[in-house]
This record gives sequence, C-alpha cells and structure tokens, in this order.
Amino acid sequence: MEEWIGARWDRWVTQAARRDHPHAAVELKDIEKTLGVFFRALGGDAGLRVVAAADCAHGARRRLLQRIAGIGMRTAHAALDREILRLPPRLAVLPTPDLNRDLYLWLAALAARTDPERSRSPQHWIAVNQQATLRALQTHPGLLARYRRLVLALLNERIAPDRLPEDEAAQERAIRQALLVPGSVAALPAPKRGKVRTVQPVPLWLMPAPIAPDAAARAPTPNEREGAPSQEQQAPNKRYQAERVEMPSHDSPMILPFRAESLLSWAEFVKVNRATDDDPNPDAGRAAISLDRLMLAGDDDTGQQAASKVRLDLDLPPAAEDDLALGPGILLPEWDWRRQRLKPDYCRVQPMAARQAEPCPLPERLRRSAQRLKSQFAALAPARRWLKGQPDGIEPDIDACVRIAADRRAGRSLAGTSAYLDRRPADRDLACLVLADLSLSTDAHANDEQRVIDVIRDSLMLFGDALTATGDRFAFYGFSSLRRSFVRFHEIKPFDRPFDAMTRGRIAALKPGYYTRLGAAVRRTVQLLEPQPSPRRLLLVLSDGKPHDTDLYEGRYGIEDTRHALAEARNAGIKPFFVTIDREAAAYLPHMCGPNGFVIMRKPEELLTRLPQLYAQLTDR
Amino acid sequence: MSELPFYQASGDEIDLFEHAHRNRLPVLIKGPTGAGKTRFVAYMAAKLGLPLHTVACHDDLTAADLVGRHLIGDGETYWSDGPLTRAVREGGICYLDEVVEARKDTTVVIHPLADHRRTLPIDRNGEVLQAPDDFMLVVSYNPGYQNFLKGMKPSTRQRFLALRFDFPDAAREESILVGETRCDAFVAKRLVDLGRSLRALKDVDLEEVASTRLLIYAALLIRDGMDPVVACRAALIEALTDDREVAAALEEVVLATFGK
Ligand SMILES: Nc1ncnc2c1ncn2[C@@H]1O[C@H](COP(=O)(O)OP(=O)(O)OP(=O)(O)O)[C@@H](O)[C@H]1O
Ligand SMILES: [Mg+2]
Repeated sequence: MEEWIGARWDRWVTQAARRDHPHAAVELKDIEKTLGVFFRALGGDAGLRVVAAADCAHGARRRLLQRIAGIGMRTAHAALDREILRLPPRLAVLPTPDLNRDLYLWLAALAARTDPERSRSPQHWIAVNQQATLRALQTHPGLLARYRRLVLALLNERIAPDRLPEDEAAQERAIRQALLVPGSVAALPAPKRGKVRTVQPVPLWLMPAPIAPDAAARAPTPNEREGAPSQEQQAPNKRYQAERVEMPSHDSPMILPFRAESLLSWAEFVKVNRATDDDPNPDAGRAAISLDRLMLAGDDDTGQQAASKVRLDLDLPPAAEDDLALGPGILLPEWDWRRQRLKPDYCRVQPMAARQAEPCPLPERLRRSAQRLKSQFAALAPARRWLKGQPDGIEPDIDACVRIAADRRAGRSLAGTSAYLDRRPADRDLACLVLADLSLSTDAHANDEQRVIDVIRDSLMLFGDALTATGDRFAFYGFSSLRRSFVRFHEIKPFDRPFDAMTRGRIAALKPGYYTRLGAAVRRTVQLLEPQPSPRRLLLVLSDGKPHDTDLYEGRYGIEDTRHALAEARNAGIKPFFVTIDREAAAYLPHMCGPNGFVIMRKPEELLTRLPQLYAQLTDR
Repeated sequence: MSELPFYQASGDEIDLFEHAHRNRLPVLIKGPTGAGKTRFVAYMAAKLGLPLHTVACHDDLTAADLVGRHLIGDGETYWSDGPLTRAVREGGICYLDEVVEARKDTTVVIHPLADHRRTLPIDRNGEVLQAPDDFMLVVSYNPGYQNFLKGMKPSTRQRFLALRFDFPDAAREESILVGETRCDAFVAKRLVDLGRSLRALKDVDLEEVASTRLLIYAALLIRDGMDPVVACRAALIEALTDDREVAAALEEVVLATFGK
C-alpha cells in the first residue's frame, strides 16, 4: 500500500513537472504593474502588495519537490492574505503565452473578489474559489470568455479522472465540475484514509494563504516603555507563538488533502525556528530574518551578510561613542490601520548630531559634477517677472495706458497713473527638506565601488551645493530607528544654517545602522517644515526600502502608517515626494505615496544625476 | 419652459436652488469636473425662466473683465458693460464658473453683490447698481484642483449657500447616459461599472477619475457603432493617464468589462 502511494505521488510530481510549457512562460515581473492596477480597479484592496510567491513557500517547496521528484521543479501558488497577494513568479502551466498572461489577470480578478479571511482556511478552499469566481464573472462579465478559455485549456492539462484511482477521481471530477459550473460543488469528496496528497493543483484558484505575519494584531511588547530607549532586548517572541497558534491543526480530516500545502506554509516558520534555535539571542535571530527579507528585495545574496551584521547592531554603541543626542526626545503618534486611529505619543524621535564630524571640503572626485550642477541650478534661481500697473518702472504698460487714456477721455479724471511695467525678482519662495534613509540596508553595495550610503552621501554633498546656488531655503536630515522609542533623527543641515564645510563633515560622518520607521521620521519633518514662511514646501524622501522596524513595524502596518504621515504632510500644505531605489517598491509606493508622488531609480547611482532634474521638475510650476 | 435641458437630479438640489432664488441668496456649487454643475445651472435657469450669463474664470480674469471698461471708438470713448454688470442690469443668473481661478481683485467686486446689499459699485463711472430681485449670483469650483494657495477666502465663501456635487450613484449615472446619448441600457450599465472600477484607482494609480462627461463621450462613440474597447481607449484610458503601463492595465479593465 505504502509503495503504491509512493508510486502515485511520484507520478503526480513528475507529470506536473513535465506539464510545464517553458516556451509559453510569462514572468510576473513583466506584468506586475499592470496586475496591480487591474487588481485595484476590480475592487481589490489598494493596501495590498502584489508580490511573487517566491519568498515564502516557494523555496521550501522546490526543495521538497526536488527531493521527492528528483528534478528541479518550480511551483508556486497564488494566495491572498490581508497584506499580500502572492502570485507565482512565472506561469507556464498553459500552452501559450497569451493563456498564461490571461491566467495572471484572472488570478488578480479572482483575488479582487476574494475575502482574505475566508481564503485562509483550507476547509473552504473549494467553496471560496467558486464564490469568488462567480462574483468576478458577475461584476465583470467581460471576463467570461477569458475564463472559459482558461478552464478548457486547464482541463486539457489535467490528468483525466478515469486515469486516477477512485477517490482521487471523485475529487478530480468535483474540481472539474466546480471549474465548469462555479457554485455547483459544496465540498470536496474525502480521500481514502491515510493519503498524503490527492488533489492536483488548480492554478486558476487561490490557495489557502500561508499564515501572514499579522503585525498590528499583536499587542506591543509589555517591556517597551514610552520614552525610554529600551536597552533590554525584546520580549519573548510573540510573533511565532501567534503564528503557531493559528496554524491549521493537522488532525482535522478536512484538511487532509492539503497536508502537503500546510507543510509548505510551515517552511517559513521552520526556517525561523532554526535561526532562533542556534542563536543565543532570539531577538537577533528574528531581526536577522526580517532584515533578510528586506535585503532580498534588492539583492538575492546579501541576506547572509545582513544577518551577521544585525547581530552586532542590536547592541547600541556605548553612549559615549554614539552620536550626540540633542535635547530630549520628541513624542509623536503612530497610525494603527486596523483600528483606524492614531496612537498618541507612541514614538520617540531623538534628534542627534554626529559627534566627531570634522569640517570637510568637497571631495575631489565630485568637483566636476558640482561645477556643472551649480551652473544648472543657478538657472533655477528666482526668475524675474513683470509686474503690471506699477506707478514706476522700466517700460510703459500699454494696457494700463489705454485704460487710463480711455477713462480720462470719458471724463474720469481720477483714472489713476500707474502705467508702468516693472521687472522684479520673483520670489520662488520655496522650502525644501531632504530626509535620507540611513538604515542598515544602505550598507548594501550599490555597485562595485560604492555602497548605497556612499551614494546618498555624495548626492547630499552635490545637492547641497546646487541648492545653495538657487537661493531656496533647504534642510537635510537623516533617520534610522531602533523600535518606537528610539527613532534616530540626524540633524545634517537645519534651515537656518549655511551649507558649508561643517555640513559636509556631518554628511561624511553619516553611518548606516538600524531600521526604517518612516512614519515617525516623516511626522518630524512636518513639524520642521510647517513653521517655514515659504508658501511652497517640499519634502523629498530618499529611501531604499519599505518602512520597517523590529517591533511589529512592518508589512502593511508600516506602509499604512507612512501613508498616513504623508497625508498629514499634505494637509499641512507640504508636498511630499519619494525617491527610492527599492526595486520592489512598485508594489507598495502607489498606495503609500499616491500617483506622481514617487520615482523609482533603477540604480542607486542615478540618484546623483536624477535628483537635480527632479528638483527642477518638482519646484518649477 | 418647453426647452428644459436634460438634468437628472440626485437629491434636493433643485428644491434648494429654488428656495435660494426666492430668498435672493447666492449659491456656491462645488464638485469634481464633469459632475453636472454647469448642466444643473443651465437647467435651473431654464426652469426658473431666467437668462443665464456664464463667465468662465481664468487666472487672467480681472475685475474690469467682469464689470466693464471704457473702449476707445471713433473719436470718442464709450462704456461697455462686462458680463456681471449686464446680468445685474438685466436680471437673471450670473454664473462664475471655476471662480477660484480668477484673480484676487475679482472677489472684491462680488462681495457687495453676494451679501444683503446686493449692489455692484462701478468705480470707473461712479455708478452703483442695485441688483433686481430676480438677479442671482452662482459660483462654482472644483475642490480637487484647489491647492493650498488657491483656496477661497472665508470672507468670500461665507457669503454663499453651498451645494456639493458628486458623481451620481450607479442607477442615476446610467439614466444620465441613456438620457444624454440614447445609448442602450446595456451599454450604459457596462460603462457605469467601468467608471466605478476606474474611480477606485483615484489617488493610487490615477490623479483624476473618470467623469460622467467622459462616460458620455464613450457612450456616444459606442452608439455611433464604434467598438467599445476602441471607444473606451480614446474616451477614457488615454484621457486619464499618460503612463503606458497604467494604460495597459486600464485596457484590461475595459476588456474585463466588455469582453473579448
Ligand atoms: N445630473 C446630470 N444630468 C444630466 N446630465 C449630466 C448630469 N451630470 C452630468 N451630466 C452630463 O455630463 C456632462 C458634464 O457635466 P457639466 O458640464 O455640467 O460638468 P461640470 O460639473 O460643470 O464640470 P466642470 O467642472 O469640468 O465644468 C454634461 O454635459 C452632461 O451631459
Ligand atoms: Mg462646468
């Protein structure tokens, strides 16, 4: 019996592997943006990120399947939770590229019509997908033809029921029926006892989501007190506990068909547990994992490095060596999107300045660019503009002359005498604050010679010189964070100080470290920009990744908090703009910053050349 | 009265406007582009049997443009009334469209007209006009365009009754499409669904949303025999975005609505 199952299983896996159509493959990255917009237009939650399913279950799955089938097969399933819509990084299940592309669109449409809570539970898998199918076809009947094509193509790819043992055949028939007549199948027939896996995957449907890190549902750790930079490590890891509790129980007969999947969704946690097991400091393990994900976004093989760095980083440097704290911290709120309210005085932002910054000239290698930029920016300096109807001026105002002459002739002697045009320097009257992300991820390499932080430093040096040439008011700040009680807010150049050798010294002294609590940093800049007398106020944020901190500030929670902080900025009459080098950013930036609220640089080096251009575009209207 | 323009009411705005008129109160209408503000005013003017004087405000519009000026003729000068002055003299509705666009000095001339005084002083020739009972001042603006520099001063704002216009609900929007273009109900329903899908993208992927006006354009093209997908591309997609990828996605939304 055992042997027989083994043979079945093997056949299923190899067949599934062979049934790929590599020539017809469509990559997620090529239609990612389209899918995101499509998903939102069809009613999908704008706060969700659309990401490749690769980073969670996928790796483990491949290994598992490789082990079982002995060949390298990649399978990843579409799944939805409250934060993320995961889609396979590549689709090749159907025989033509058009069909595979349509399959992506279909999955996005289906997800837009799926309730993420219900879709988590394997018991409801077949019902949830049929319901969502019906809903999608109802609201968007244009999908019907596409759906039919997909179903027919898929049925062709599936092992026919008559070639399967009886119980599997019954299941396969139910699935076919559910695909052909959505809404007509109440439940999946039970498999024979003791079977490992019986259902062929259904790429037209969403799989029960791997249990998501449920950031804000977790209570803040008790030993984190307001106001005090907590030196103590974080409390026992609630996250994993929470996740384990929520894992579907493996004894339930209903879940049996999904046993393999359930195992796969464990992969993430298994990995985590291992990291924690052989690590004396569970917090470091956890931080390493979070950062590992963060780094993966930019570069696939830096994760390892990052993990070892974090461990060092969790210990703050002794106060005597750390940057200088300027005054007491500032308490700021944070937005909790689940409760839809601001948590007052939740974060403490600590203004800081470099301790050993030495005055520093412009580095030799930047001289030429600086020269060029300066002359470009000088052109941005306040243009002169004509003022009409002045009592005195350098040219006559013909309009005014005609009007006055006409009024006089009509007998109005009091017609006025202001008949000149004058040229005055127009006030650009602009205040710009640049906020640079200094979190540890900026320690990653941008290219062979430079790290991201080096590029940020160079950009600030050049930008400072160039801005001085425009005469606009500007300020530079940098930030990183170590949980909510210690958002490090580095003063580089305040509005009321000149940009000089001392400022350059401070830029040169910037060091990467810690995490990215973006919302709090943005709120602080709003406080700094608000009192500026200029009517136009610009906030430029240079970032290299998602909002992220170790105390639950991640995923959707961090994105929603930042989005809220940006809305607060807009309400205060400030125009925020994001410049990011995070290639994954397209998945969350539209929601976080709004259309035309951001730009993604393909390479960090672009910052040097694009930043000035951007500034000109943003301010010149 | 026989020539009433088509207007699909969405609430008690008609009633309110009539009360305002009876009580000689000025009205401010705010709402997104293409939501029917202009149409509503035209409808009300016809319904009340009043002449309508419309002024589209722009950032070069001066007080003299509204009130009037001396023109130089053949050996003499003569006074020429601006649209506002004409409306005050003749009675009727004076509609200042997109009033926040106008230069600041224009608001000064409407202040005495928009409060209990109901007067229009004309500096240039010393006249002070008293508005007749059937004169009514109506202004409109689109809060979406309004930026923090171009808001309306409270002293101006608080002289008007204010009405908010929004996109109509699905059923009303369908009947607007049908009433306006005589397209068939099926096409109207699909277009309205599409419009709603696209409106969901506001502030994330699109800066502006699809107005009823654009849906009407699409309906006209479709009624004229054009392929719905092509019609929507011209009337909606390209009108809403310059971004190619967003446009590609919107096209998929159109396909999902109309089918392929
Ligand atoms: N309630 C309605 N009843 C009838 N037609 C309407 C209605 N709402 C909108 N429309 C149609 O939409 C078109 C645009 O409306 P209208 O010109 O009144 O918009 P608006 O609010 O003045 O826009 P804008 O701010 O751009 O001037 C009209 O020509 C009309 O066809
Ligand atoms: Mg109008």
